[in-house]
Amino acid sequence: MVDFVDSELWQQLQQRLSGGERFWEPGTSVHLNAQNHLLDSRQLQELGEALDRYDLKLTRIATSRRQTAVAAATAGFSIDQGSELPQLLTLSEDKTTGGKTLTAEPLYLQTTVRSGAEVRHPGSVIIMGDLNPGSSVVADGDILIWGRLRGVAHAGAAGNKGSIILALKLEPTQLRIADSLARVPQTAQGPTRPEVAYVTAKGDIRITEAAGFTRPYR
Amino acid sequence: MSRAIVVTSGKGGVGKTTTSANLGMALARLGHAVVVIDADFGLRNLDLLLGLENRVVYTALDVLAGHCRLDQALVKDKRQPKLALLPAAQNRTKESVNARQMRQIVRALATRYQYILIDCPAGIEMGFRNAIAPATEALVVTTPEISAVRDADRVVGLLEAHGIKRINLIINRIRPSMVKANDMMSVEDVKEILSIPLIGIVPDDEQVIVSTNKGEPLVLAKEMSFAGTSFNNIARRLEGQQVKFLDLNEMNPGFLTKLRKFFTSK
Repeated sequence: MVDFVDSELWQQLQQRLSGGERFWEPGTSVHLNAQNHLLDSRQLQELGEALDRYDLKLTRIATSRRQTAVAAATAGFSIDQGSELPQLLTLSEDKTTGGKTLTAEPLYLQTTVRSGAEVRHPGSVIIMGDLNPGSSVVADGDILIWGRLRGVAHAGAAGNKGSIILALKLEPTQLRIADSLARVPQTAQGPTRPEVAYVTAKGDIRITEAAGFTRPYR
Repeated sequence: MSRAIVVTSGKGGVGKTTTSANLGMALARLGHAVVVIDADFGLRNLDLLLGLENRVVYTALDVLAGHCRLDQALVKDKRQPKLALLPAAQNRTKESVNARQMRQIVRALATRYQYILIDCPAGIEMGFRNAIAPATEALVVTTPEISAVRDADRVVGLLEAHGIKRINLIINRIRPSMVKANDMMSVEDVKEILSIPLIGIVPDDEQVIVSTNKGEPLVLAKEMSFAGTSFNNIARRLEGQQVKFLDLNEMNPGFLTKLRKFFTSK
């Protein structure tokens, strides 16, 4: 069995915590929505300690599993069992299709996204830092990188062709918007100005200077 | 306070073991009690580089199995009594130890040694996880090649996820002439991607091969090579001293080539 702290999930959590450290007040309480995951008291404790390191307090655990609830109670957390679980996504209107899709609040991280790491989010993603080669960001909304984009970026992953990818330095391995894909020519030294990638009416991905870019609404 | 530092890289063959051996020796020469742990179970090399192979009696696994006491397994270096080696077992695999046991060993060593250097195996699997488990700091070794830098980047991410905050970078096997000709990634290029503090630059040096084969760390040589000086400087920077980086352009890259030409042209 893989140790909890060696799991992929744990790495993602660490990345999320270290990347978001600026965005909460010390001592903020955290509610864990464990759904039907089975967690033992040791895992809950490790989770609590991990949050502690970032000045967050794990206080409440929502679960639909009895064993998890028992473990949580033993570890001294308050429990929400089975009742209405918090809704993480909110309905919003998709401007291109006119339909309604589920999108989350934008995700704002301050971190270097390193090789092997993947940021996935059902909304827009804003990253203060570099996206290194070998990493990827997959967002249902836009992707804004306040740094160098050298990995793979996929905006509008749920199909929204109106999504854009913007970076201070756009040197990606590959760009994807909705179901379009583009490789960026390997030039020795590209422009150092911020650039933005978008999908044209024909379905091609274009890159243009970000300053003065107005989103091509149709 | 004892410092447990893991020497790691992701990619193999970039110089983890060379770094561990030389830094261990250099720190011991600065007067610290140092132990180097070979965490590469099944593919141990550190004893060779230190020239201690024939003095290995027990290994870390014997300690864990209760076959011997910890100090019986430690091999003290005759040349430098402040340095000890805890060898890995050669006849086992990485799965024969776990993270808890590694922590246990390091905790026991921490009472007696100021520096505990852990020589990590290549890869990011079990052996890697065992090696980084007891560490509070890390030295990431890379060469100026895209593949090595990519792997180092991955490793830095994993170290961060494990809560290791103090991570320093060593760039090994730099060839100034190639950097100048734009044929090799420069120190700046590597730093830009990895964005962690740089603690040392080690030039590519034929003496490294000589020293490995002789089992005599570079930092012990009478006539100090550039690589040897670099490792000494890293040791001093680890101590907290401010040491200027070597100007690699001063290193005469043509010297050995000229020497060879001198002999072959006859």
